[in-house]
Amino acid sequence: MDILVQQVINGLSLGSVYALIAVGYSLVYSILMFSNFAHGGFLVIGGYICYFALKNMGTGILIAGFLSLLGAGAAAILTERMAYKPIRENTNNTLYLLIASMGMSIVIENIFVVTIGGRFRALPAIIPTQPVHLFGMATTSAFDLISLIAAGVFLGILQMILVKTKWGLAIRAAAYNLRIAGLMGVNVNLLISITFFIAGTLAAVGGIFLAVRYTLYPQLGAITIKAFVAAVIGGLGSLPGAVVGSILLGLAEMLTSGFISSQLRDLVVFFFLVLTLLVRPQGLFGKNIGEKV
Amino acid sequence: MSVYTEGIIVLLCINAIAAMGVSLLTGFTGIFSLGHAGYMAVGAYAAAILTFRYNVHFIIAILAGGTMAAMLAYIIGVPTLRLVGDYYAIASIGLGEAIRLILENGGTITRGARGFPGIPPYTTLAVAFCFFLIMAFFMFNLINGRLGRAFKACRDDYIAASLLGYNTAKYRILSLVLSAFYCGISGALLAGFLSFIQPIMFDMMKSTELTSVVVFGGLGSMTGTLLGVIVITLVTELFRPISQYRMLIYGAILVIIMVIRPEGIMGQYEFGPNMFRAIKGKLFGNHFAKESRKL
Repeated sequence: MDILVQQVINGLSLGSVYALIAVGYSLVYSILMFSNFAHGGFLVIGGYICYFALKNMGTGILIAGFLSLLGAGAAAILTERMAYKPIRENTNNTLYLLIASMGMSIVIENIFVVTIGGRFRALPAIIPTQPVHLFGMATTSAFDLISLIAAGVFLGILQMILVKTKWGLAIRAAAYNLRIAGLMGVNVNLLISITFFIAGTLAAVGGIFLAVRYTLYPQLGAITIKAFVAAVIGGLGSLPGAVVGSILLGLAEMLTSGFISSQLRDLVVFFFLVLTLLVRPQGLFGKNIGEKV
Repeated sequence: MSVYTEGIIVLLCINAIAAMGVSLLTGFTGIFSLGHAGYMAVGAYAAAILTFRYNVHFIIAILAGGTMAAMLAYIIGVPTLRLVGDYYAIASIGLGEAIRLILENGGTITRGARGFPGIPPYTTLAVAFCFFLIMAFFMFNLINGRLGRAFKACRDDYIAASLLGYNTAKYRILSLVLSAFYCGISGALLAGFLSFIQPIMFDMMKSTELTSVVVFGGLGSMTGTLLGVIVITLVTELFRPISQYRMLIYGAILVIIMVIRPEGIMGQYEFGPNMFRAIKGKLFGNHFAKESRKL
């Protein structure tokens, strides 16, 4: 029983970090209809900015975190402007965007390999990891609870932005139909930049937590493939779907490694992906993509 | 010929066979896959186990590798090819990674993540080149024949194709099976060339490379695919002295080609008289240009 509660908390904590990243995938997909595989790169950029701000500039975690969010957001805007904007202005085929995003993810990963090397770096102990006793029922680390709370806070802020602000309304309109949103007077290029900025900052939050959990290295971005799977399970383009998919995936992964075998945890992830696509291709919360003749 | 040049030519042949398979699926049938390295892995492991454990003759082992990959593709393809567009690409990521993870957890049969050493080095220059020639001969005949036209019809408008009486589901599966066969053969040759295989060699990076070579050369152009293989293989080989910049350049090339010329080097043209006729037509405004464009 103890182990079960503990694994559920671990799973929720891992799932909440996935959710931060998966929401970014879904946000970009809902506007531009392509899976941005460079998303993992934004996460790595955020992680490294946080690391160097803490290590070399000696700032506190709040300033370092702020810089890291800003930097990753800026990198996301820059990526969109340099690589995706010329393509989306030329063609309607999202396949080209997909391949360009894979190219960008290779570029970002290898910029770090070339400039600062591929070795593993541990973030300074900024987030407490001492054990916490939960009402005598289970013991878990403070880190898991903090990442769960932080993810909840950031997702709450995102929800507020989307529901309460004018640009949030514009993003929702663009998710419905980008062209018509443009015709209604929304500045589409600015809107896409804002969307990428939001996606980049959320990825950076996820990046800091993943860097604390697994140490920091240029290939850390590859882990976003699981967040991507979560976004697909929840339904690409649906934000609540991305969150629910992430939580489910985090729980499935942790429960598998806790009770069956930790070697099978990755296999379970991809098994769920294929199962979802076979049974319900649009995902749990996705719009039903009817075919029109 | 030095051993190094020989090695590059063998590698070119191996990559070209896999790329032709992916080109058939992506360029000619319009199904985008991000998991074809999985089929290469199946071919490689099947050939490795047959030659190393059971002393099977290598040609039979290579063909068995291709057949294993094709059979697996059939089993996977029947349920998953119902998905259209982006969704099959996403499913193929999961399938490719699942194949790799199963090989990593295969225990004594596949020897897990540490890899499979001691495969007899049967892939000589002659073997690789002969396989390449035979496979290329069949591929070029296929895409210009009845089947090739059916595949292209499924790619361009599968609703119209099905209204014309083509069983589009059947052709999509057939295309996947054939492309998996090519990838399986290529993987089996790779196993004999390196004498050592590891599941991590067939990860999503490899799948991406296969697809990007095809897009780079031009979707719907088999000669373009071969050109893409030559360019990408040579670029990665020539930059080996500055190895840490190699992947950076490869990624940048991928982005730049998508920005500058998303239809790939050759577009939909095949290298040959028709291409020159089309270029001439473009230059001199000849109205034959449209008709001579080979779709």
